[in-house]
Amino acid sequence: MSQSSQQQKTVVTVLKCLKCSYTIERPFKEGDFIPKIDGTCPNDGSPLYIWAIYAKPLVEKK
Amino acid sequence: MISMIDLLAFAQTSSQASSTYYYLIFLIAWIALTVIAFMPGFQQKMYILFVSRDIESGLAKLENLSKSAKNKTIELLKKSGAKNAEELADKFAEWFVIDPVNIEPTDIINRMKLLIRTSEDKIRQIIMLSLPNLDPVTRSKIEVSAEILNALNTIYKVVRHYLLLGKKLQSYYILLQLQSVVPILVKMAESYERAQDVFIKGIPVGDSLGPLVASRFLMNVNEKWNPSREMVAGEMEFEGRKLIVLKAEGPMATVGTPGEAVENVINKLEGKVSRIITVDAAAKLEGEQTGSIAEGVGVAMGDPGPEKIAIERVAAKYNIPIDAIIVKMSMEEAITEMPKEVYEASEKVVEMVKQIIRERTKPGDTVILVGVGNTCGVAQ
Repeated sequence: MSQSSQQQKTVVTVLKCLKCSYTIERPFKEGDFIPKIDGTCPNDGSPLYIWAIYAKPLVEKK
Repeated sequence: MISMIDLLAFAQTSSQASSTYYYLIFLIAWIALTVIAFMPGFQQKMYILFVSRDIESGLAKLENLSKSAKNKTIELLKKSGAKNAEELADKFAEWFVIDPVNIEPTDIINRMKLLIRTSEDKIRQIIMLSLPNLDPVTRSKIEVSAEILNALNTIYKVVRHYLLLGKKLQSYYILLQLQSVVPILVKMAESYERAQDVFIKGIPVGDSLGPLVASRFLMNVNEKWNPSREMVAGEMEFEGRKLIVLKAEGPMATVGTPGEAVENVINKLEGKVSRIITVDAAAKLEGEQTGSIAEGVGVAMGDPGPEKIAIERVAAKYNIPIDAIIVKMSMEEAITEMPKEVYEASEKVVEMVKQIIRERTKPGDTVILVGVGNTCGVAQ
């Protein structure tokens, strides 16, 4: 992959609530892994767990 | 015929004296160059010069990538508390495994397995000797770094060897072949160097697709066990079937020993298994889409031999059909951050696995699902 295409990608961590459908996406932090429990759901206070970690383009294709 | 002196005299006296003078010099130089160009070996020497220049530019890139991988390994070792980080990095860079004898193929798999396991054990032993209290995740990161450093150092040294050999023997054909593969090797080396950063950070890679699919099933299983080295298994009920899911033990950066694990599980069940489903990442061909899914038959596994054959042998022994689901990606995507397309494909593969179980097995059957690949950043 060229240098330019590397710069156009960012790694994100997707968190999901164990009970409701709440989902949040944030930048990846070292120490993240699937399905680590990380934080609580703002809706019902249930634990949030890491559902996915992937690289996505900084500018999404239309 | 006009003599040279007459010609020069004419040139000096004419109104175009200087231009004729330059014309003559050009003519002489042109004749001299033509004569030299047709001299035996001259053209070849020029070709060798140009080809060597091209290879040397690629070699410089390979040297930089190898040095960068070494510096990153040293940094990781120092961060983990190693006092002899440089010495360890040198040892990893020069590490080698001698291939088993293949002119007598009898029992080659067992010999290969022994050599691969001995090499893994030895690298681990070297690391643990310097860092006795190291956690498994950091240890796996150092092991992957050591493998990448070793690969980059080997590529650099082999290219340098053939460049020097070609120049020494003045062999245009050695250099020509080398020139044609160096761009591919540079691209491969750049991918390895980038992969080192990804593994050190613990980010799931494209090859983590298989373990990710397996982890979706294992998330709700409380009782898990280790069927073989660095492997984890869990049993669950799926629509009346007994589903046993296997994957490498995460979130360490390891592929585990899936062949041995499947063999042990099936032998323990005395062969009473209806189907084996294997899920893995696969190299795409140029023009194919990243994240495209294909289904087939056989063991989906990019293994040198021992693990894959273990599944084939146990399946053949008990006549168990093997299904394969692959998700396509480039070599670089397989060893660097998992692309979004591959993550999206993993969700579809989970549904495909469920569909295969529903369609090809009946309630009461036992099914084995193996998520093959490096489980970096994917626990269970």
